Amino acid sequence: MSSSTAPQLRARLPRIAEVAVQRARLTVVPRPRTRPRAPRVPFVTLVSAIMLAGVLGLLLFNTSMQQASFRASALEDQAMHLTAQEQALRSQLQVLRDPKRIAARAQDRGMVLPTGAACVLDLGSGRVAGTCAGALPDVTIPTDAPGRKRPAFLDPPTVTVADRAASSMVIERPEGRRHGASDRNPQR
Amino acid sequence: MTGPSRLRTARTPLRASPQLRLRIGFILIAMVLSVFAARLVQLQGVDPDNYADMAAEEGTDTVLLPATRGEILDRNGEALAESIDGRMIVADPALTADDAPELASFLSKRLGIDYIRVLERLRVEGSRFQYIARQVPASLANEVVSDAADKGFVGLFTQRDPVRQYPFDQVAANLLGFLGTPRKDGSARALAGLEDAFNDYLSGVDGEARYEVGAGAQIPLGDNTVTPAVDGNDLTLTLDADLQFYTQQVLQQTVEGSQGESGIAVIMDSRTGEVLALADYPSYDASEPQEWPKSRYRSSALTDVYEPGSTQKVLTLSAVIDAGLGRPRQQYVVPPVLNRQDRPIHDHWVHGIEHLTLAGILAKSSNIGTVLAADEFAPGVLRRYLTAFGLGKETNVGPRGETKGLLPEGAAWTDQVDDRIAFGQSLSVNAVQMIAAINTIANDGVRIDPSLVEGSATLDDGTEVGTDHAEQRRVVSVEAARQTALMMERVLDPEDGVASIAQVPGYRIAGKTGTAQRVSDACGCYDGSRTASFVGFGPTDDARFTIYVVVHDSRGGGGSAVAGPAFAKLMSYALRRYGVPPTETRPSQIPVEW
Repeated sequence: MSSSTAPQLRARLPRIAEVAVQRARLTVVPRPRTRPRAPRVPFVTLVSAIMLAGVLGLLLFNTSMQQASFRASALEDQAMHLTAQEQALRSQLQVLRDPKRIAARAQDRGMVLPTGAACVLDLGSGRVAGTCAGALPDVTIPTDAPGRKRPAFLDPPTVTVADRAASSMVIERPEGRRHGASDRNPQR
Repeated sequence: MTGPSRLRTARTPLRASPQLRLRIGFILIAMVLSVFAARLVQLQGVDPDNYADMAAEEGTDTVLLPATRGEILDRNGEALAESIDGRMIVADPALTADDAPELASFLSKRLGIDYIRVLERLRVEGSRFQYIARQVPASLANEVVSDAADKGFVGLFTQRDPVRQYPFDQVAANLLGFLGTPRKDGSARALAGLEDAFNDYLSGVDGEARYEVGAGAQIPLGDNTVTPAVDGNDLTLTLDADLQFYTQQVLQQTVEGSQGESGIAVIMDSRTGEVLALADYPSYDASEPQEWPKSRYRSSALTDVYEPGSTQKVLTLSAVIDAGLGRPRQQYVVPPVLNRQDRPIHDHWVHGIEHLTLAGILAKSSNIGTVLAADEFAPGVLRRYLTAFGLGKETNVGPRGETKGLLPEGAAWTDQVDDRIAFGQSLSVNAVQMIAAINTIANDGVRIDPSLVEGSATLDDGTEVGTDHAEQRRVVSVEAARQTALMMERVLDPEDGVASIAQVPGYRIAGKTGTAQRVSDACGCYDGSRTASFVGFGPTDDARFTIYVVVHDSRGGGGSAVAGPAFAKLMSYALRRYGVPPTETRPSQIPVEW
């Protein structure tokens, strides 16, 4: 039923319908009765307390983390120093183990190299293999290093003085190096 | 009427119609806005991370986590090269110039550096960065700088500068090489030897840590990324540091004693091919390489070739026996001179017609006898044997610049060359090649690739080397190798041999002398100088060590007089050091004459 037809209907209908029409009119629904309100204060307090506790906790946690971070940095520094110290001590130890140093010290104390006949004692059978002989005196090895680079000024270029009168003469090295000896095969 | 009209015409261009002015205004605004838009597109579209990164960079600390370079160790784990944390001490002259003399005397005393030089550096004008000392061990550097701060000196600081140490200085320097001054970024500059050949293997990869900082400490829960450093690998060598030292010293004594020019000594484990010692003389100190000439930064045992001389006869005669062309007791008539195609062949001693056995040819080192014995070979067979012994091919033990020697090939291998090669001329070898070849006889005819690296390691060119990759191959039969060893024992016989001086009391030793004419570098011809050498192994019947001593340009005599005693010392020391008991069997008595 469209609303445009309503006036015509009303005009045509008898009064008996009026009640129904009255009833069909929209009215405001009565407001439901409100329940008694719960007190708000405890809730707000609780939420505030939780938030405060959270913020405080976070702050404390952060502070302690920060402290730990400082401590970690300090400990890392310390570890680095100790590592460096350990390395320094190790390398000192390694220098003390230098065989050259040990050999020099041993020879200073009169020790010599074992060059006599060797013998081996088998601890299991108690048998001695080989004939034992004592070390010989004065058998040592050099403990000084071969020479360093000579500064260039110590080796000036060779000056050749040519004797004009005897210019055809060739002065050979005292070792007498000669070429052309290859038809001999002095292999041994 | 001209007045107002002129006025109007003069005013019109100044105050154009509002539309026009608006339009111009809009165009200007549009232009400015499009510049903004373009910049916006650039920032957000083309390069969105740049500014974000710059913002993040503020307050972010990046720390390099340096990788530690691997150590080079000997077979017993003794460090031959090690890296320690180091610092460079740097001064800011703008701050140090005022108390320069006091600070310079403090630094020179503590660091052992030159006073005048430090003083100059502390006073350089217009500079804010001067090196005071480089590669100072970290503990010392930190101590010195903090002590200086305590004394009230300002302007000193330290930076990372890793230190490479060679605690044994000269021991194995010929093989180890060294590192130069580190590059600006702190990476190593390998300049020679194994340090150079295995640079990538030893180096490792630097890591990096990035984190947010506040007040000098890391912010917890802040951004934090760590790429850990990958440390370099340790390189374990087959060398025995003590034996290496002893070998170097004995070699030094030998070369100096014979007034020789240079020398090489190699000790090899007969059973595994591991090089236990490899000495070159003259060498240098890896801790102070700048004090020695550059020509010494190498191992001439690998980089230099020479003619092996009579030690080669061992290879030739073992091949003769293996090919079934002779036996140790086989009889030969050796004439005083053997006239061959281009020139006569002589022996080192003057003799009439000699009746020598094959053992006698080796014991007395007869060139003529060796040539006669080798005459039985079909063409190309001797070369095949020598190639199988490893001559003419690099040993690839590690260090760069190894020579492969010279073994004539094809048309270059003429009959004359064949004769001379039989007794060790006209071919050239490096010392490691030669000892590996002779070791084949010690190891019952099986050649083992020599190795300098324990296990496996990768060279910079990608090749894997080391004992894990050492191959074995049979060159001569067990019987041929043992018979050759017994013949070599006759070389050391006091009556029948030429080198009783190389005997080791209590042990059976097999050996061979060599006195070769030397090709001079200057003229490329034989200049009359000689290379004296001695190679041998012991105990003969259960070989443990093969030792080779070479002295170039020796004045004190031939192989037996010069290199023999050195061989005996080294063999005696090695046998004792490794507790090898004497085998207590009788040495061979194969007759040398008939």
